[in-house]
Order: sequence, then structure tokens, then C-alpha cells
Amino acid sequence: MRTRTSLLGLGFVSPALSLLFAFFLMPVVLTTVFAFTNMSTATGITGGSHVITGNLLRDLGNAGIDNDVITALGEASFSVTSETLAAAADAGVEPRFLGEIEARLMGQNFEDARSFESALKSLPSRPTRIRELKLATEPFERSILNTRYASRADMEAAITSMAPDAPAETISTIAEASYTGWRWIDGGNFQTLLDRPETIRIVLNTVFYVAATLAFNVFVGLFLAITTFYLPKTGAGFFSVLWLLPRITPVVLYAVMWKWFTWDNGFLYVIAEQLGLPAFNYMKGSVPTAWATIILVNGFVGASFGMILFSGALRAIPIQQLWASEVDGASRWQQIRRIILPQLRWPILFVTSYQTLSLLSSYEQIWLTTNGGPGSTTTVWALEAFNTALNNYTGNLEYGMGAAMALILVAVGLVLSILYLRMFRFDELVNKPRIEF
Amino acid sequence: MTILKTTKLLATTAMLLSGTMLAAQAEDYTITVWAGGTGDTSNYRYDNIVMAADILEREAAIRGEELNITVETQAWSGWDDFKQAVTLAAEAGNAPNIIISGHEDIGPWSQSGLLRPVEDYVDFDAWPLNAIYPNLYDITSYDGVVWGIPQDAESRPFFYSRANLKAIGWTDADIEALPGKVASGEYTLYNMIDDAKKMQDAGVVEAGKGFVPRPSNGPDYWQFYISFGGEMVDAETGKLVLDKQAMTDMFQFFVDAADAGVVPATHLGSTWDAFHEAVANDQAGFWHAGTWTVSEWQTKWGLEDFFGQMQYSLIPAGNENGKANTISHPLVYLLSNAGTDDDAAISAELISIASEPRFNALHAVKSGKVALSDAQASIPLFANDRWAGIATTELLPHATAIPNDVEFGPYWTAMFKNLEASWTGTVSVEDAVNALEAEVTSALGDKIIVR
Repeated sequence: MRTRTSLLGLGFVSPALSLLFAFFLMPVVLTTVFAFTNMSTATGITGGSHVITGNLLRDLGNAGIDNDVITALGEASFSVTSETLAAAADAGVEPRFLGEIEARLMGQNFEDARSFESALKSLPSRPTRIRELKLATEPFERSILNTRYASRADMEAAITSMAPDAPAETISTIAEASYTGWRWIDGGNFQTLLDRPETIRIVLNTVFYVAATLAFNVFVGLFLAITTFYLPKTGAGFFSVLWLLPRITPVVLYAVMWKWFTWDNGFLYVIAEQLGLPAFNYMKGSVPTAWATIILVNGFVGASFGMILFSGALRAIPIQQLWASEVDGASRWQQIRRIILPQLRWPILFVTSYQTLSLLSSYEQIWLTTNGGPGSTTTVWALEAFNTALNNYTGNLEYGMGAAMALILVAVGLVLSILYLRMFRFDELVNKPRIEF
Repeated sequence: MTILKTTKLLATTAMLLSGTMLAAQAEDYTITVWAGGTGDTSNYRYDNIVMAADILEREAAIRGEELNITVETQAWSGWDDFKQAVTLAAEAGNAPNIIISGHEDIGPWSQSGLLRPVEDYVDFDAWPLNAIYPNLYDITSYDGVVWGIPQDAESRPFFYSRANLKAIGWTDADIEALPGKVASGEYTLYNMIDDAKKMQDAGVVEAGKGFVPRPSNGPDYWQFYISFGGEMVDAETGKLVLDKQAMTDMFQFFVDAADAGVVPATHLGSTWDAFHEAVANDQAGFWHAGTWTVSEWQTKWGLEDFFGQMQYSLIPAGNENGKANTISHPLVYLLSNAGTDDDAAISAELISIASEPRFNALHAVKSGKVALSDAQASIPLFANDRWAGIATTELLPHATAIPNDVEFGPYWTAMFKNLEASWTGTVSVEDAVNALEAEVTSALGDKIIVR
């Protein structure tokens, strides 16, 4: 009976578990795997094939591979022999066309595709479509240059066919080097990050961004909650809704509105011009104003989050305590300092820790506003990871490096979570109440 | 970024056979075309494929075959989103059949197996591909394989405001002689800074508007590296080159320009709208842009008399090591690995037909690009367009191209990042160049030569 109930329980949570697995665990696992590879646009994600190219042969030559082997592998020719004709017949080349090739070109050698193709074009029964003509040349070709082989074994066999005298070790080295897909590079990405001078700047940017935005979130959230608490109910409700706007506005629209606000000839620009103050594109025109913009853009979104939580907590404070304090002649400030703030300790700690983690991984608003500029002065870690892995001008998406950066973010987030849990004793917060109701 | 989605349905039912012919089986194809960096004036980039489909269907009908091609086109105005979309779609197995992108993508995309070599599908000895300038095929080749067909080409000249030059005492004759002086190396980038400063001091243009470079990353910035004697590829070994001296001089030039106050230190990352607004309305002294922007200024920014308002030249040399130059960044038609071999063969035929000089002339004239063949240059529409002709005959011969190397993307990204860092004053020029060197040598190893 007992087993059955637990099985039933398991059945009930299984949808949640599978979602958790698909949308949380898998991304983390994949990020971890990617982080230790050199995966990029050029290597692809799903794996590669084996190709020998002219550039590869040049590199192998520089790396000390025997010149005879290199020359043999670089050879390309088209020859009409009884063997290649048989291969062409097997490949389905049209018999009449094949007959003409045999009759007119038997025994001839062509150094490149173009000359062989033009010889074929002179034959009366040649195919009308150029692709068919090109396909017909393939069985006559003797070259492995630029041919993609799906497996390493195929590649090695092809190398052996072109350079039969090459030692096994050389063949293996060449086959290894011919792989186009990604490779494991252990901690290579992390080492590169350590070596890059800009890493430290991005770290400092991130720390500054998180600290400044967090301070804004908490203080403004607190200020709003307390001031609306003292306002008459109807007015308070209106203000609360107003402050929710940044959070409920779609993020792209919100960013566009900030552009209108801070852009050239935007709202602030026009006012500043009227007042004779410096008028420029505040979002992108100078480092301090760019920082101010992104801190405010993110701060207003976060402030409403703080405000809601703090307002809820304020309503949980027994109102009698405030009445009693007024009887004792306490000022508003004394009420806040002695009664409200001490009882808001947990919500404040919660907002602080929760927002630290979400700010660490947030980049959307920055991407849509300053995009990390001017220069890279407002680039934070999450934005850099996103740009590295998924979005940049040259289209060179470095999935491996981006994943390594994301993994560092995950690790930092985990460490911070544990620290917060320890420091603020969350376990006490979620303890069973000592008094039974 | 805007995404224009145009789905053109080309349904044909042209069965016009004589009674004796066998009714061939109908063939239906859906060919998808994605184009990057394609704004309002570049619609012929994909519309030419749509027109090509119509012609291919008619040709088939004449042969007695029924061919139905549906062309689905999609264009991105920017590059980041487009390249992300292509790469990720390809990983998911949904790449478009025809990709129209910059030639520098050939390196990484061919390695990853995203592309089919176009040379396996088209006939370079047949019209119209045999008419295209052979050196353009060098740009669309990588590792001895021709991967793409040139779709357009341009150059990226330096521009001058005639009115503002006159305001600081230049005569018409001086202005006419300027392109020659630039080409010979007599007028350099540093002369330009001095003159931009003069304009600002005289109140002709606002502070920070004397010199207005491109506000975002682009091949243009490599021009300034060449202006200071830099080379991107070593001619002998074919490897990428980082010329530290040239890179230092180039970074220093932008820092000097910022120090002189002719361009803001925070210029990079400012908006294209602000750029166009300033340069099209004589609010700037000197700037550089692609030939195609002229048509953008005319259609969107109120430029009426281009030749009366602006002077143009190559990008001036920076010092005695470098030379006046320009970069051409041809876009190419690429065949993806998507679909069947027959899909690819049809796509290749469409690309070949779309390279018809008359079609290319439509695109080139509408969007301010150069001719890809003599035949295109002689199409009346093109021949009668003064700017297109100048761009082809005066500027293009001096043009270089960025390399197709697989590793060029990382090098480019690192170059721009460090240029930005020194320009904004976050790090010194020396540190920025050292950081660039450290970054590329750790990422590319011996695939790059550092001088």
C-alpha cells in the first residue's frame, strides 16, 4: 500500500521532473560539455568530417610531414581508363555518352576538372544539365583533395590509396589533422579567459553594474513601499501600479522608450538644450551617462519587484505596534527605523540575494540599449558571453568559449547562493513556527 | 533589425506542347533564399532570384518540361542576426538553399560543411558566369575551390563636404585636385585631422563632427590598417598577418583624432541615423562610407546634388609606410548543404541566371554598387549612372578584399574590440596592440604571423 502511494506521488511529479530535466538540467549539462571544447561556427556542433585541403597540406608540410606524401596527396587528375569507365557505368552514367567517352577519350589524362569538362562538352550525347555533366566526371577523378569523408577509417583508406608508401603513423597524423569538427581542449577556454587582459575589465564592469543596480533596486523599492504605506489607500494603489509599468512593459518596447527618452533629439536632449545644459545622446554619448542609463533601466524594473515584496511584508506588521508608538510620541522616522525596518529584515535579504543572482545573468536590457558601449565600457559578463557564443558582427560564434563564460557565471551564482543561505540563515526563515496556531 | 519577409509564389502551368511530345512529369521545387545586410535599396539581391525562376521555368517549358519553382525569400537589414540565423538554422538542418552573405563567411562555413562548392554545380565557361571579372572569383574562392558566385561589389571611399572645405579657404580647384593628392599620398589622414580641426575652430561644423568614421564594426576599419602599411595576408605563405607597427599607427590615429576633438572618444556605438543625418546635410567635414550609401542619402536623407555637395577619394594614406586604398567587400551567392542534390542544382541554375548582367545592373544601380563584368557596365541603365561608373572605373581598381581565412573572424573581432578599447581611452594604444597580439596568438597559434 505504502509503495503504491509513493509510486502515485512519483507519477504526479513526473511531468515536473521531466520539465526540470529538459529545461534546467540539460542546458547546464550541455553548457558544461561545450565549455571544454573549441566548438565554433567553423567546427559545427553536431560533429565534423574528414577533409584534406590545400591549406591543410601546407600546414602539414610546415609541421614536418614527408614531402613525397604531401605531393602524392595533393595530386589531382582525371583519366579515362577501362577501370574508370567501369566505375562510371556503375555510377549510372548514360551508356551512349559513356560510349562516346570511350571512343574518343580513351587513355587520355586531364590535369584539372575544367579541361576534362570541356572535353566532355564536345561530345554529342553530353547531358544538357551542367550538374549531370559534373556528376559524370566524378568516377574518372583520382584525387582526395576537398572530398569530405564521414569517418576516420574512410579518410585513412583514401590516404593509403593516394600514398601507399606512407607510414602508418603519418597516415594517422594526417587523418587526425583532417578532422573538421570540434575537439576537447580541456581547460583551454578558461586559460584564454585568464590570459585576456579585458577579462578583468569585464569582471569589474559586472561587479559595478550588479552592485549599483542592486542598491538602486533595494533602496528605491524600500522607499516606495514605505511611502505608499503611509499614503491613503487609493492613492497608494495608483502609485504602485505606476511603478509596475517598467516590469509589465515588454522589454523591447521598454528599451525603445528609453531610447526616445535619452537619444539625440529625445526628451532629455530637448529639455537640456532649452536649459542650456550639455545635450547629447546620453545613452551612448559618454561613459557616465551610459552607466546611469543602464542602471536606471534595470533599476526601475527591479524596484517594482522590491516594492511589491516590501509592501506585502509591511502589511503583515501588526498595525497596533504603530498605534502604540504614536501614543508614545514616535516620529515617522523613528517608526521606520525602530519598527518597520527590523521587521523587513527577511524581505530585504531575500530581495538582495535574489536580485544579485538575476542581475548577474541579465543582459537583455543592456544589449537593447547601450549594447555594452561606448566602446566596451558597459559590457558585462553575461552580455559578453552572449555575444561570444551567439551574436556578433563577424558571425564567428564561439559556442565553446561562450559556454565556458556561462559556466563561470553558473559557478559564481552557486557560490553566492550558498554564501547568502549561510550568511542570512535562510533555514531559520523557513523553520516551522515555534508557536503552534 | 527589420526582417522583411516576402514570399513570392511563382506558380506556372505552362504546358504548351505539341501533340507528338510526351508530357513530361511536373517537377516542383521550393527554393529558399536568405540575404544579409539587405536594406530597402537592395531588394534585387533576392528579387533577381525570383525573376531567374521565372526564366528557368520558361526555358523548361520550351524544352517540354514542366518545372514549378517557388522561391521564398527573407532579408535581414543587419549582419549579426543574419549570421546567427544562418548558422543556427544550418545546425538544426533548416538552412536556406541559397545564402547571400559576405565572402568572408566562406572560410568557416565551408569547413563546417554548411556549404556545397558552387563549382560543382555551375558552368564557368558559359554565359553569364564567364563574363564576370576573374579576380572576383579569387575573392569567392577558398582553398582552391570556388564556393560562391559574386552577387555585387562596391568600394568604400572617403568623402568630403565641399561647402565646409570652402569655408576654411579651399578653392574649387583645390577640391578638384584633392583625389589626386590623396592617391599620390600627398594628402594624408593627419592632414585631414588638421583640416577637420580648422573647420571646428572656425565654427563651420560642431565639435566632434569634423571627422565622422563608421559608427560600428565593418570591413572599413581594415582600410585604415592598410593606410598605415598593414597587410592582412602574407602573400608567400597565405597566412594571416598582424603588422604590429601598422596596427599601432592605426589605433594611434583614431586616438589622435579623438584627442584633437574632431571625433568623440565614444563615437563607436553611436547610431547610423546620426551618421547619415550629419554627413548628408553638410554638418560634417570628412567621413568614409560604402559607395551604396550615396543612394541611401539620396532616397532617405534628402541629398539632392551629390556631385555638387560632396567630393570623394580613396581612403588617404596614414603615413609613408601605407598607401591610399579602399576595400571591396563583395557579397556572394552561396549554395547550402540543405535539400537534395536536385534542389542544389536548381538553386545553382537560378544563381547563374540571376548573374545575367541586366539583372546585376538593376541591383547595382539601385543600390550604388559597381559592375561585375564589362557586359554589365555597358547596360544602358548602368552606363548612364555616373556614380556607378566612377565607382567601377576609378575606385575599384585600387580595391583590396579581406581574406576568406577560417581564422579571420576571430582576428577581426579581436582587432575591433581593441581598437574600441584604445579609442575610448580605456587602455593605452600600446596595451591594446599587445592585448590583440596576445589574443590572436593564443587563439590562432602559428596560423598568424606577427611582425
